Amino acid sequence: MNNPRAFLIGLAFVLPVLPAVTQTRPMSPADALQVSKRISEVSKSTLSIEAKFIQTKELSVIKEKIISRGIFFFKKEKLLRWEYTAPFPYLVIFNNDRIYVKDEDRENHINIQSNKVFREINNILIGAVKGTLLSDSKNFQCSITDLHDLYESVLVPKNTRIKETLSEIILYFNKSDYTVEKLVLREVSGDYTIIEFSDKKINQNFGDEKFAIP
Amino acid sequence: MRSLPYLSIFTIFLLTSCTPVKKSQLSACPKGSYTAPLWSSPFLKGYEKALFHTTMDVKGNYLSGITIIKKTSDSSFHFTFANEIGITYFDLEIMKDNYHSVYIFEPMNKPAFLKIFFHDLKLLLFSDSGCGIPDKYIQKMSEKEVFSYPGVNLFVWIDRESGKVSELVGWTNMFDAAHIEFERNQEAFPSLIKLSNSKIKLNLELSLLGR
Repeated sequence: MNNPRAFLIGLAFVLPVLPAVTQTRPMSPADALQVSKRISEVSKSTLSIEAKFIQTKELSVIKEKIISRGIFFFKKEKLLRWEYTAPFPYLVIFNNDRIYVKDEDRENHINIQSNKVFREINNILIGAVKGTLLSDSKNFQCSITDLHDLYESVLVPKNTRIKETLSEIILYFNKSDYTVEKLVLREVSGDYTIIEFSDKKINQNFGDEKFAIP
Repeated sequence: MRSLPYLSIFTIFLLTSCTPVKKSQLSACPKGSYTAPLWSSPFLKGYEKALFHTTMDVKGNYLSGITIIKKTSDSSFHFTFANEIGITYFDLEIMKDNYHSVYIFEPMNKPAFLKIFFHDLKLLLFSDSGCGIPDKYIQKMSEKEVFSYPGVNLFVWIDRESGKVSELVGWTNMFDAAHIEFERNQEAFPSLIKLSNSKIKLNLELSLLGR
């Protein structure tokens, strides 16, 4: 440190701000259970979700980011539609046990039952969006932390197959409506993907045709 | 038994002298009638990184997503392919004479596949005209100029107007030949790259999204 005085002055400015940035409140098991219950109740009453999303893939080794955007639709029980608009148009539909991928002019059908990895990813995405992963104690060890304006739930996979790909799944819940604001998939490789939802519309009426697989 | 050494030599000769490019479709130009062209892979001079929309078909298993190819030094690249939802299929560091797998999606983690795939990527990323003195041919149907580098098992198609590489065929033995095609619009860098290798039943397509 060449200039200790400048360092101390800088520290004086930074220190008061730090608690606001890193404000977390450890939760008692009873409080965590209460939050988990509330999330589960909201999940039960959530029949559909429509939201915009921004997906950021962080490549740890080469320190690069890949950013994608689109619109997301969920309908109970197991219908998901990821409509990517950038960096190129791309559509993924999860319809119960089937996955349909439309990539420009190419279409691909995947049967989840015959593709174990896709099955796990499908279950994780649906469970994450619905918030039901928190109660999946068979496959995940879960902890909840009270952040400044969100609840953070860290899920560590117990299932060997999930552990081969993902080291951690982190869900951030909105404190006012208990819906998922952000999802982080941390991979074994060190890479991670952040999916942030915005303009959420809960229980809007849209038909099953959005999830129809041709 | 006495004929076994001759048979072995003949087999080796057969394997090394045969090429996956049909020479009957090429007419040879007399030596001395041409100058060897200077060319290089589009990933060498002035390249830093690029993002590609990617489709990959390996033995009928179709994968799609986004690839980033980043030059990390004069002699190494990172080739990272992830699906659209963000899960990494593989992250390979490709060097001129070796590769290092940072991460490989378990179903793809097969040494025999990776060995050939590394050669294919090496061909794509590191090929240039410094690999010997070529023989020149004209492809009979298309009239395209083709240069063969026998010492390194390589055929190169050079576009007459731009002087840039439009196709590459390279192999370690004639059964694992990789065929690479570069499609360009107005830009100097290819907008589409197609790589195929019948030995590992691989079809890889990289469509440029941005640099």
